[in-house]
Amino acid sequence: MPLSDKEIIARLEKLGKLVATQLLKGNPPYIEIPVRSLKNTIWDDKRKILRLGPAKARREYLDVKSAKRFMQTLLMLSLIIMARREGDYPTIRDLYYMGKHTITYVDVDGRRKKEETWDDQRESNSVIEDIEVATGILREEMGIMHDAKGKIVGNIVVRSKGYLIDCSKMGSGAYAIPPNPDRLEIVKVEADYVLVVEKDAIFERLNEEEFWKRENCLLVTGKGQPDRSTRRMVRRLWEEFGLPVYVLTDADPYGWYIYSVFRSGSISLSYESEKLACPEARFIGVTTTDIDRYKIPRNYIIAATDRDLKRATELMKYPWFQSDSWQKELKLFLKRKEKIEIEALSGHGFKFLSHTYIPEKIEKKLWIV
Amino acid sequence: MTILDEILSLEEYRGLSPAEFFYRNREIAGFSNPTRALYQTVRELVENSLDATEMFNILPDIYVEIKELSSTENIVSVTVRDNGIGVPQDEVPKVFGQVFYGSKYKLRQSRGIFGLGVKMAVLYAQMTTGKPCEVRTAVPKSEYIYSFKILIDISKNKPIVLSKRREPNPNKWHGTEVKLTLEGNWSGSRSRIVEYIRRTALIAPYANITFKGPGVDLRFKRVTTKLPEPPEIGKPHPKGVDIELLKKLISGYKQMKSDPPTLQEFLVECFDSVGEITAKRFLDWAGFKHDIRIDQLKIRDLEKLARRMKEYDEWRRPKATPLSPLGEDLLKKGVKEILKAEFATAVTRKPSSYSGHPFIVEVAIAWGGEIKPSDKPLLLRFANKIPLLYDEGVDVSRKVVDHIDWSQYKVKMPAPLAIITHVCSTKVPFKGVGKEAIADVPEIEREVENAIKEAARRLRRYLSKKERELEIKMKYVTITKYADEVARALAIITGKDKKVYLRAINRLVESKILKKKVPSRVTVRRRK
Repeated sequence: MPLSDKEIIARLEKLGKLVATQLLKGNPPYIEIPVRSLKNTIWDDKRKILRLGPAKARREYLDVKSAKRFMQTLLMLSLIIMARREGDYPTIRDLYYMGKHTITYVDVDGRRKKEETWDDQRESNSVIEDIEVATGILREEMGIMHDAKGKIVGNIVVRSKGYLIDCSKMGSGAYAIPPNPDRLEIVKVEADYVLVVEKDAIFERLNEEEFWKRENCLLVTGKGQPDRSTRRMVRRLWEEFGLPVYVLTDADPYGWYIYSVFRSGSISLSYESEKLACPEARFIGVTTTDIDRYKIPRNYIIAATDRDLKRATELMKYPWFQSDSWQKELKLFLKRKEKIEIEALSGHGFKFLSHTYIPEKIEKKLWIV
Repeated sequence: MTILDEILSLEEYRGLSPAEFFYRNREIAGFSNPTRALYQTVRELVENSLDATEMFNILPDIYVEIKELSSTENIVSVTVRDNGIGVPQDEVPKVFGQVFYGSKYKLRQSRGIFGLGVKMAVLYAQMTTGKPCEVRTAVPKSEYIYSFKILIDISKNKPIVLSKRREPNPNKWHGTEVKLTLEGNWSGSRSRIVEYIRRTALIAPYANITFKGPGVDLRFKRVTTKLPEPPEIGKPHPKGVDIELLKKLISGYKQMKSDPPTLQEFLVECFDSVGEITAKRFLDWAGFKHDIRIDQLKIRDLEKLARRMKEYDEWRRPKATPLSPLGEDLLKKGVKEILKAEFATAVTRKPSSYSGHPFIVEVAIAWGGEIKPSDKPLLLRFANKIPLLYDEGVDVSRKVVDHIDWSQYKVKMPAPLAIITHVCSTKVPFKGVGKEAIADVPEIEREVENAIKEAARRLRRYLSKKERELEIKMKYVTITKYADEVARALAIITGKDKKVYLRAINRLVESKILKKKVPSRVTVRRRK
C-alpha cells in the first residue's frame, strides 16, 4: 500500500523535529543515519536479498567532521518537505540547484572565505540517500524524479494520472517506465513471464519481432545497469502478479552483476532491496557454458581483460553468488578467460535468439539462480 | 685541548720564540686562508671586547667595521671598538705585541685565553700586509686616550712601537679600539661573519652590537640590561690535573720565594673542593707522606701524584662558581629576539662535572615565527658564549638532537624548530684544535640530552595548548558558519521563526564551546 503524501510529509518532518527539539533543549543536536557501505551490507540468505546492517552513524552538529553533512541533511530535508507540501515533483538535479547556496564566513586565520552548501550533485544525491535510509521512505515515494531509462512492452495495461495505457499497442516503441512506478495502477496483466533484457538494442530487436506476443510475456529493459524505477516495476510484476522473472545479459562479469542487482539488490542501495529486489529472478544467459553448448563460432568469442577477471574473482566472493551453478560458471570463466555478447548467438542466424535460445532455456529449465 | 696546552706539550718547539711558533703554525689558530683569517680576526677582536666589558659588569657597546681596501688583492681593514675597561697605556705594547704576555692562567670561564688570539690576528695582519696594529684605548677615568701603532719583532717576540700619541679625554671615554689591516676575503667570509655576529647577539642579549661591512649594516640593540653573574676565579679541581699544571703551580711558590708548603698544605691551598681531611685521606690512599715538602718532589713523584689524583674517586664535585651561564631568562630573551620565534623556552641545568672540570649546559628551543621549516631541527651551538659555526656534524649536540624522536613532542618534520645549546666550562672538551665542535663526553652528552628533553616537554605543552585552541576555534567557525542554513531549514520544517533556532544555536555555542575557551582571545601571537 503506497504511503499517502500526508504520511510522507509527517515522517519527513519527524526527522527534522527531532533535531529541533534537541536544539531547543540545549543539547548538541545530531541525526542518526544507517551506514551505507559494503561493511554494513548483509546478505539475507533466507530471503535472498541484500539488506542494510545495523550500523548507524551520527551526524553531529558540534563535530567539525560531520557538521557540514548535518547541515546538508537538514537543508535537503527542508527542500523535500517544501516540494511535498506544494505537490511539486523536483528531479534530483532540481534539488541540487535549489539547495546550492554560497556561505561566506571568517575562517580561523581571520580571512573571509566562501563555501558552497554542496559542491556537486554527487554530494546532494548522497544526502537524499541518507534521508531515504533514515526515514525508510524511497525517494520515488517522496516525489523525487530522476532520468528514468527503463522500458516495458507487452500485454499489460496501466493507469497513470487517470490515463489508461495499453503497452501492447506501442507499435515499434515501448512504454517508458516513469520515475515512480508506485503511482501506476496496474489494471490488467496477461502474460506468462517477464523477460528482462540487459541491452536496449536486443530489446528493440525482440520488440520488432513481436517476441512478447508470440511468447506471451512482458519485455523489459533497464538499458545496462538498471535504475530504481525499472527494478521497482519488475518487482511489482513479480510480487503482485506472481510472474516469473528471467534475465538475459552478456556473458561477462558486468552482465552477471546486473542480473544480481535485479535479483538481490545492489551494494550501494542495499537499503532499498526490500522494495526493489526479485529474489526469485532466474538467469537464462548468456553463460560461459553456452559457448560450448551452443557452439558459438570463434569469431564471436572475446578474450577477457584483466579487469574482467578481477571482477569475476570479486563476484565469486559475494555471498549472493555462492550457489553451485554460479560458482561453476565463474570458475569456468576464470579458466577459459573468454566472454561473449548476446549478439554472439546471431552466429546461428538472427532468429536463433528469439526462436531457439530463449524458449529452449525456459522450457528445459536451463536457467541458473 | 686549548691552544696553550697544545703548545706547552710540544717540547720540540721550546727553542722557538712563541711568536715564531705561531708564525709557522698559523692554521692551528684558524688563520689558514684569507677567508678563514678574516672571520677569525673578527671573532678574536669581538670576543676580547665582550670579555673586557661583561666580565667587569659593563653593558657592552660593540662596534665592528670591515672595509675593503682593495678587493682585487683581498686587502681589508677590521676595526672593533668597545666600551670596556681599556688597557693601561704602559701595558699596551706587550698586550698587543708580545705573545704569551698577560696575567692569564687563571681558572675561570672566559671566551678565550686573554690576548692570545688577538696577537695571532696582529701577527697575521703584519705577515700579510706589513701594516701595524692600531690601538686606541683608555682605562676608566683616564685623562687621556692613548693611540699606538705596533708591530711584532717575530724572532725576538718583542713589540715594536712605531708611534704613540695621546689626546685629552674630556668625556671620560673608556674602552679599546683595535684596527688591523690584513689579507682577507670578504665575499667568501661574509655570510659566516654575519651569522657569527647574529649568534653573538643571541648569546649576549645585553649587548649593543653594530656591524658594518661592504653592503651590510646590522644593528642589534640590547633587549635587557641584566648581565649574567661574572664568573669567579676558581682553583683547578684535583681530578682535572696534569703534570704540567702541577709544575706550574709549584713554580708559582718558587717565584713568590715563600717557604715551600707540605704536600697536604699544597693540595688544600691550590685545589678546588679539597679540605684537610680530604687531602689526608687522598695522600694515605695514594701512598704519599702528608708532610713531604713540595720542593722535594721529583719528576717521578709528580707523575705519580698526577696519576693518582686523576684516579681517586672520592673527591668532592668541583664548584661551579667559575662558570657564568647566561641563565634561562637571558637566553630565552636572546633567542626570541634574534630568531623572531613565536615560542621560545630555555633550560639551565644544575652544574655538573667531567674529569674534574665543572660545566653547565644551557639549552633553548625556539619554534615558529620567522624560523624556516626544515627537515632537521636548526642547531645553534655555543661554548662559553662563543658561537660555534663549523664542524656541526661531529658535535655532541647534533648527535643528541638527531637521536631525539621529535614526534614525541608533537613536532612534525619539516618544522620551524631551532635548538640552541650552550656549554659553559672552565675546560670545554673541544674535538681537535679547531675549537668548533664539542666532543661527546658522556657527562656532557647526558646533560645536553636532559636539557633538550626538558625544553622539548615545554614545547609540547605549548603546541598541545595551541592545538586545543585551534580545535576550539575550528569548531566555533564551523558551527557558526552553518548556523544560518540550519536555522532556516528547521524553521521551514517546523514552521517556527528562524530566530528561535539561531538563538538556540548561539546558546549552544556559548555553553558547549566558548565556556572552555574564548576564541576571540585565541590569536597567534607574533613578535615584531
